[in-house]
Amino acid sequence: MPKLPAPPVPSSLKSPPPRPGESGGPASPVDQAIAARNSVVDWVDERTSLTGAVRWMMFRKVPKGTNWFYTLGSATMFAFLNQAVTGVFLAMYYRPSPAGGAYESIRYITNDVFLGAFVRGMHKWGATVMVVLIFLHMARTFFFGAYKYPRELNWVIGVALLILTMVMGFTGYLLPFDERSYWATVVGVNINGTGPLIGPYLSDFLRAGPEFGADTLSRFYAIHMMLVPGAIAALIGAHLYLVAKLGTTAPPWTKAQKNPKLRRTEA
Amino acid sequence: MSDKHSNQQSRYTGDRLIPGSFAGETVTRRKFMSGTAQTAGAIAAAGFTLPALGFAFGPVFHEVPHHWSPAGPPEMFNEDNYVPIVITLTPGVGEVGKGLVYVRKHNPKIDTDPFDKNTPYIAISARCVHLGCDVRWVSAAQRFVCPCHGGTYNVLGIRVAGPPPRPLDRFFTRVTNNLVEIGPRFSVNDELRRFSPRDPGEPLDGIGQYLYPSRPSIRI
Amino acid sequence: MNQAEKEEYLREYGILKSEGKPFFPYAIAKDSLMAVIVIAVIIAASLVLGVQMGAKVNAATSSYDPRPDWYFLFLFEILRQLPVPDLVGLATIGIPTLCMILLFLLPFYDRSPERRPERRPVATFSAIFVMGAMLFLTINGAEAGTPYQLIFKTPSSVIKAGPAAVAKFEGGRLAIAESGCEACHTIGSNGNPGPGPELTAIGARIPAKGIAKTLVNPTYPMPSFKRLPPKKFEAIVYFLSQLK
Repeated sequence: MPKLPAPPVPSSLKSPPPRPGESGGPASPVDQAIAARNSVVDWVDERTSLTGAVRWMMFRKVPKGTNWFYTLGSATMFAFLNQAVTGVFLAMYYRPSPAGGAYESIRYITNDVFLGAFVRGMHKWGATVMVVLIFLHMARTFFFGAYKYPRELNWVIGVALLILTMVMGFTGYLLPFDERSYWATVVGVNINGTGPLIGPYLSDFLRAGPEFGADTLSRFYAIHMMLVPGAIAALIGAHLYLVAKLGTTAPPWTKAQKNPKLRRTEA
Repeated sequence: MSDKHSNQQSRYTGDRLIPGSFAGETVTRRKFMSGTAQTAGAIAAAGFTLPALGFAFGPVFHEVPHHWSPAGPPEMFNEDNYVPIVITLTPGVGEVGKGLVYVRKHNPKIDTDPFDKNTPYIAISARCVHLGCDVRWVSAAQRFVCPCHGGTYNVLGIRVAGPPPRPLDRFFTRVTNNLVEIGPRFSVNDELRRFSPRDPGEPLDGIGQYLYPSRPSIRI
Repeated sequence: MNQAEKEEYLREYGILKSEGKPFFPYAIAKDSLMAVIVIAVIIAASLVLGVQMGAKVNAATSSYDPRPDWYFLFLFEILRQLPVPDLVGLATIGIPTLCMILLFLLPFYDRSPERRPERRPVATFSAIFVMGAMLFLTINGAEAGTPYQLIFKTPSSVIKAGPAAVAKFEGGRLAIAESGCEACHTIGSNGNPGPGPELTAIGARIPAKGIAKTLVNPTYPMPSFKRLPPKKFEAIVYFLSQLK
């Protein structure tokens, strides 16, 4: 169809030309979606000012020379997220009851629940992967000297996270309630008990009594399920904040380029 | 009254020019308010922390009652060899509350210590006193052998090899209605002197009994 | 680190950072790829290795051999290799607590400004030593058998001697495992370190007659095995005399 010439109307009555970036006529669905998203983001940002924090976190610079070794920390955190999510869903079927309940519920998860053995396997092997990754991450930090000034506090938080991860390994061990679980817990609690003076009371606290009893399993479950994961999540938050604030270290072999404008000249 | 609000400055606050300060004032308003905030916050936090801690640590101070479990008729046991018996240590929790005990008749030839003179039956706990694995009685060698860290004990339950810091724990025994019964557990030192039950890994000789005190939750 | 070294580091780091790239999307792309690898490993392990249902807990059994999960095997091996009662507290609480304190305080006692591992020989070598020791202990702990079983390759001389000799050797293997010898003796990778001497090559040192004599009339604290049934006794003597 041939295009008709525009009618001769005064310029004041003409509709304004489209702004740069806007096409004439009704917006396409994609543009509408983008506009809707932008208005939602604007609405949230107007009330929270979150974009500043996101920009500070995401668009900070990482120093020259950063390599694959620097992904070990985030990989550990990712393994923790896997543990948290699979753990929450395992808790939907698990019953921490020693007198016929715990072992049977684990058997039910493994044999009957849809994807049960798979999710339980992800939780079990995720624990192994997390322990391996946290040790590798610590080795990287150690060999690169990344625990030195100004990142001393972050190293201390990291050691606390390592110990809490081992506590997770120890407390999670009891929950399947098979032979291995029971004896590992007996030995572990008795190891705590060999501390002089307070050791015996610490064992009683862990077992909720002088012998392995009705409340021991639910106590371990609460520690494994809520107490330690909460502490780990909080410490990961602090760890990440300090990483973003202080910046990731450069590999110790990387040297800055000699820039006469930025470097002090030797007298 | 009017003297109090004169222009005279307190020696504590005079140099800070804080409005409302007056002579003799030792606590400023700001100090008072910050103290209030900290104290009230601490009281509020203690309000839920202390009961929760008491809840968690309660079992440490709660004494568990003793009870006696039947082991079998006296004919079951002899003087020379141990018979493994499963008894219930903690009722109501199923298999996990059970315990393995090795029982034999008192044998005056080997039980020469003064503490076992009037004990009709010797009942030795299978719980290794190193870290708590269950030992196995190997009659060929006349030894209790632990499968974990190498603890080995002789026929009296006294250590001969490995890391265990004291002899195997024992149980009180009695005979009622022609049935051998096994009662509360007790720990012994190297002379077989009796002590309140300790956990594995805790020595009882020398300074050990003071470093690892008995617990309020289980005593004899 | 003194103030000048701190400022020097911060200056150098500032330059390096200004020469770097933004975290999003350059660094986070690597992180995300790593996350994909991690989850792929977890899923593969879950699918291939799976989960096992162990036997239900039984607190009154002496037929189960408790072993920890792999990441506590090093501690298990330390406990096994310290057969001294007075050092139990050291192995269980002392060494782990000391390690934790040393780890926590690392940035406070290692205050040198040097960061390159090859210029921090003490730190690098101690870390490699600790890692090697932990690996060694973990492997040994994983290989540790129980005192009730004897895993030992049948010597070729026994196999050559015919099936009757092999049967006698196997009988001796069973009798030794049942008789608790490994509670105090090491045989190959089996058994505990002491107080008895290692028996891995006992046949080369003592003839069969001497072994039988020792079994009947041993030195304290070894018990006498004269009450064993003769068949078992002979099998044990034969087994030990073949260990050369």
